[in-house]
This record gives sequence, C-alpha cells and structure tokens, in this order.
Amino acid sequence: MIDTNLNHFELFSLPVSFQVEDAVLDQEYKKLQAEVHPDRFVDADDRTRLQALQQTSMVNDAYETLKSPLKRSAYLLKLHDIDAEEHNQAHLQEEFLLQQLEMREALETLIESDDVEGLEAMRNSVNKEKTGTLELFESHFLRKDFTAAKSNYNQLQFLFKLLDEIDKAEEKLLDY
Amino acid sequence: MALLSISEPGQSKPKAHAIKKRAVGIDLGTTNSLVAVATEGHAHTLCDHEDHCLVPSVVHYAADGKVTVGYDAALKGVDDSANTISSVKRLMGRGFEDIHYDLPYEIEADENGGMPLIKTAAGKKSPVEVSAEILKSLVLRGEEEFGDELDGAVITVPAYFDEAQRQATKDAARLAGIKVLRLLGEPTAAAIAYGLDRKQEETVIIYDLGGGTFDVSLMRLEKGVFKVLATGGDAALGGDDLDRTVIQWILAEAGIEDDLSYSQLNALARIARHAKHALSDAEATDISFEHWSGTLSRELFNNLIDSHIDKTIKACRRVLRDAKVELSEISDIVMVGGSTRTPRVRERVSEFFGAEVHTEIDPDKVVAVGAALQADVLAGNKYGDDILLLDVIPLSLGIETMGGLMEKIIPRNTTIPVARAQQFTTYKDGQSVMSLHVLQGERELVSDCRSLAKFELRDIPPMVAGAAIIEVTYQVDADGLMEVHARELSTGIASSVVVKPSYGLEDKDIEKMITDSYAAAASDKQARSLQENKVEAERIIEALQSALALDGKKLLSDEEYAELSEGIEKLHEIIDSADSDAIHLASESLNEASLVFAGRRMDTQIKTALAGHSIEEIER
Repeated sequence: MIDTNLNHFELFSLPVSFQVEDAVLDQEYKKLQAEVHPDRFVDADDRTRLQALQQTSMVNDAYETLKSPLKRSAYLLKLHDIDAEEHNQAHLQEEFLLQQLEMREALETLIESDDVEGLEAMRNSVNKEKTGTLELFESHFLRKDFTAAKSNYNQLQFLFKLLDEIDKAEEKLLDY
Repeated sequence: MALLSISEPGQSKPKAHAIKKRAVGIDLGTTNSLVAVATEGHAHTLCDHEDHCLVPSVVHYAADGKVTVGYDAALKGVDDSANTISSVKRLMGRGFEDIHYDLPYEIEADENGGMPLIKTAAGKKSPVEVSAEILKSLVLRGEEEFGDELDGAVITVPAYFDEAQRQATKDAARLAGIKVLRLLGEPTAAAIAYGLDRKQEETVIIYDLGGGTFDVSLMRLEKGVFKVLATGGDAALGGDDLDRTVIQWILAEAGIEDDLSYSQLNALARIARHAKHALSDAEATDISFEHWSGTLSRELFNNLIDSHIDKTIKACRRVLRDAKVELSEISDIVMVGGSTRTPRVRERVSEFFGAEVHTEIDPDKVVAVGAALQADVLAGNKYGDDILLLDVIPLSLGIETMGGLMEKIIPRNTTIPVARAQQFTTYKDGQSVMSLHVLQGERELVSDCRSLAKFELRDIPPMVAGAAIIEVTYQVDADGLMEVHARELSTGIASSVVVKPSYGLEDKDIEKMITDSYAAAASDKQARSLQENKVEAERIIEALQSALALDGKKLLSDEEYAELSEGIEKLHEIIDSADSDAIHLASESLNEASLVFAGRRMDTQIKTALAGHSIEEIER
C-alpha cells in the first residue's frame, strides 16, 4: 500500500519540477498500478478492497496530472499554495485577451468557409505559441515569480481550449 | 492456514495458491451465451451432454413458475412466444421509453416509470431477473465442471455499455449468486484470447458480427494499458440479415408471393441458414423449397450480401476517423461472432485493412475464452503476472446544472478506477438536503444524455446559506460502476446518500429478490427431500415384502415375522403423512429391524451356493 500523504511527484519518485521524464513516469505508474490495482485484491476483505480502489484512483489522478503539461503547471502552483483556477483577469494582459478574441473570430470564419488548410495553419501557429508559453511558465516558475507563472498558466488555458476547438472544427469539416 | 500441500523432497516450495480457484469466464450475449474455464493459460468452453456449447439467451416462464433456459426455452418459444424472453440484453439498464422496436413479448413501465417490466405467465419480470436465470444456468455448467461451487466469474459486457447497463449486469450476477471478479469489455476479452495483451504496442480492430448486432472497436495497447479508442456499429445488423437476403432470393426465383405462413417462413429461414453455412465450404449449393429447386453459387451469394458488408466497412472507417488512427497503424484484426465465418465477410474486412484477419479461435467462443483466461489470472491462479489490464470509462460522467445543461466531471476515456470531487454550497438557511442528477454521455443538453440516477444528500448540518461547503466525491471502480459520497467540509459530517437509479433496481429490491429466491430454494429443497425419502421408504417396503414372501416363513419365528409386518404397516402410514424427517426415521428403523433377517438369508444363500464344492475349489 502507498503513502497517501505524498505529493504527486514524490509518489512517482520524481523531483518537483516542470520537467518530467515520460519514461520514468510511465515506468513508475506501471509499478504503482501493479501494487495497488483492485484486480490484485479480488479476494481481500471489503476494507482492503476499498483502500485499493481509493489508492488506484489517486495513482491514476496523479499520473494524469503529471502527464499533461497544463495540469502539471496548475499542480506546481498549487504546491506553492497558489490557486491557479481562481480567475483574475488582471493577470491576463489586455493585449493577450484581444489577440484571443481575434483568433476566435478567425476560427469562425475558417469554419464558415470550409477552409481545412486554413485550420491547419492556425493550429500550427497556436501550437507554436503554446510551446513558447510553456517555456515562459517554466522560467518564471524557476525564478519563483509565481504571479507571472500564474498569468502564463491562464494564457495556456486559453491556448489549450483553442486547440481543442480547432480539432473539433476540423472533424466537423472533414465529416460527410 | 487452510492451504496445505506436501512437496516431494528436492522439489520447489509449494506455491501459496496450490489450491486452484474455481473461476469461469462468461460471455452473456444478446443471442447466445457461453461459459469457459482456463487452466494453465489454456481455456475451453463448457458444453452440455449433447455437445452444445452455446446457450441460447432465451428464458421461458411457465404459469406454474417453472423457468426454462436455453435450447429448451427456445423450443417453447415456437408455441408460447409471449412467455419466452429473448434478446433481454437489449433491455438491460434501459428505460421503457427507449424501447422503440417490436418485441414478441409484452412489456410495461414499472411504477417509478423507468425500467421496462416483462409480463409473463409467472408474473412481471425485470430484465435483470431474466438475465440472472441465464447466468444461473451457465454457473451450473461451471459447477458441474468443477464439482463444486464457483469462486467467481468474469462477465463480459460491450465496450460501449454505460454505467446503468453495467450495473444491471452486475445486479443480475448478484441475483444469480455469483461473485463478479470483473466486468470485462467484450473486445478486450477477444484481444486477450489472442494473447494481444502480451505484446508491447498494438493497435487492434475487433470486428464483431453476431446474429443480430454488429460492433467494431478500435483498441490500443500501450505499456500494459488496454484502451478502447473508439467504438461503432449497428445494433440491427447481423447474420439474420444475410439469411434474409437468401430468403428474398429464393422467393424471387421461385416466383412466390410474400404472404407465407409462419411454418413456411420458419422452413425458409432454416433453408437459408443451411445454404449460408454450406457456402462457407462449397462453391455452390442446391436449394429446394416446396416445388421449387435451384442452385445458389457462392459468387451470387457474395453479391447478395455485399451491401450488408458495406455497412460494416463504413462503420470501421468511421471508427478509424473517430480515433484519429490511420489504416496502416492497425496491427491486428480479430474476428468475433458466428457471422464472421462467412468467407466473404473475412475477405472484405481483410481487403479493407490490407491485412490478414485472426480467425484461429472459434469466433463464437473467443470472447468467453478471453474472459476465462482473465478470470484465471484474477482468481490468483497465475500469480506473478505483470500484465495489468486497465480500462477506461467509455462515456463521460457528469451532473445536471442550471438550465438543463450537463457538466462533465469525468471525461470519457479516463483510466478507471477514478475519483473526482466537487464542491457545492447551500442556498437556503438551514438547508439539510441537496439533490444531484448524474448523467452519462457526450452531449451538452441533459435531454441528450442518459440519466443514470438521482442522488439525494441528506443530513447536511444546518448552517446559514452559503456557509456549508459540501464536497461530493464521484468514485468509479474498475468495472465502470459509480458511487457517490458527500461530506460537509467545515464540520466533517458525512451526508447519507440515497440513490434512485433511473432504469435499474434499487439495492433493497435486489436484497428482497435474493431473500425470496433463498426461500424458494429452501422450499424446493424440502419438496425434493420429501420425494426422495418417500421413494426410499417404498423401495425398502417392496424389498422386504418380497423377501418375506420368499423366505419369511422359513427363516423367521412367528414373532419376528409379525414384528416386521407391523413395521411395514407403520411405514406405509407415515409415508402418507408427508413428513419428510419422520419418513426417513421410520425407514431407517425398519431397515435396521430387518438386518437380522437379511443376515440369515445371506447365510442360506451362501450355503446353497457352496453345496457340492470342495474347499480347494473355492480357495483357488
């Protein structure tokens, strides 16, 4: 059984850092699952089974959090007692918000004109911005500038959502 | 330590699991069901005395309460379709208003408006009870194989089954008195049967064409995690449609108009099915129906059924697109369901994917075989296995929010088990009750999603509006089944949660059904023991009477003779009393009383037999 007081990084024997080695994460995940998964306790008493269920849920949640750069960012802030989900528009520069509005309008236009290639180009440019913002997040976080890091995180939320919408739009356009 | 085993000197230590757990795999199908067991990594399906491995998923209810399952039930269905329940799997976890198609039996909504109830001569039956009867007959087959009660079973469900359908399946197992080791996805089971879970990285298509349904699943295996990426299919397409094209052809060729009698249609269906099977091996087959006869070539048959196969290929293409997977990424294609025996089906699927298809395992049995292999692992018979089968939730779980919208809490394809918590607050002073409506589906409007259950949180500590913070935890287990827990954070007081499933049985309903069935089983047992004791008593009387007639006067004193005759009289009287225990006791005492007589008879018989033989002869 695992220690439920550990934070996600400790649980996976990883250093608390924005950089996570995928191979190590996957390997540790398998190891933990093998240890706590309810399938290993089909014959145990109810209490042990409930414990297995809860611990496996925790392992799954931790894995998902560390695997995704967006969720990992929020979690890093949370470890520093910063609620990343608490929305504060002041964190987002007006320039960024305006740019987002424009992007959304552009997306609408591309959908209306069935422009699959345009969608592809837009995806590439948003992806590039996402990568840059992730780097910014990391450097702000390392310098313990949590206010700036949080602002980067909120920008990332917009960018991930936009990427999702581009995917959905493309699916719709390619559909018969 | 209950497990004792002795090892020979020099041999390795006995393993802790030296006693084999009795676990089975069950494929609870729409048309047919199967049960299989595995030993040492090899599985086989269990068949009846006539070598039938498939159990038709058909249950017949007689007016006297007698329940028949399988082939016998299907036979009864010919004359008594109203009391013969088939395809009950389609009703599991569904609402009355979901049933838009005709059924040969009558259904009505239950009082709470949700679940469909089937009206039979033996009373109203829920789909869960009907499924439990099928499970019971499969469990019996497993018990006969092991000669003992089962320790547990893995039961397969379609990958797309929502929580309510899975819960209904598990409830049926509970009613049948079987411990569920795991509800396993059918495509996952098929992949396990082929050992695909042992490969490193695979993208697999499971093509399942049954009698009346078609399912296609795209799965990915990544580092021991089996994930269903996408599923698709047609709930009304299967082998029966292939038969129908042959029937249409015969009618057209023979110039017969469409209004045929029921028995004519039955005969035609048989002929068509026979022709289909014959064409799996032969290039052509002769068909005769009444005064007409003709020949159907495989080529023509292929042309006839191609439009149906086209539909399945289209579904495959859609599934690839949904999962964003390229054709070239598919490494294995597994064929499941009896209809994939048709060579044209294999040919077309193989052609589409540009690869050979797996048909080495009987497509009717492959799901049960995979389930049995997994049951063997879960029961602990194959310890040290580092492959772990992780499943995902097939449809998003969420709750109803203001304006009839669905808010997703656990998105589809999240690895299970999973728990998510959410916080709510009260909006009235002293509010002690709160209600949640849990849904499953991908759409935004509540009306477009499946309603799973309404949860009522009670015992919220009375506080000013907005002061109580209630944390609700949604816990989904490895079978995809959900539980809800709630707690007020500032006081730590747990709320009690009352569940009202939308289309299922409440816990108390199932408890009652189980108690009722125990009571019924007890009275069945009593009746059986009375019958057995009566038969035994009559056998004793008859044997004694004939012995008395033969040797009584010769070997017994008058007193002894009278005593035994009196004993017979007495036992006769007690037999009529219908008191099982008294009959048993009286039989025993009469039997004992006659022991002396029996001994004397034996002696005389031996003496007679030995007369005229020398000792040497006998000893030789």
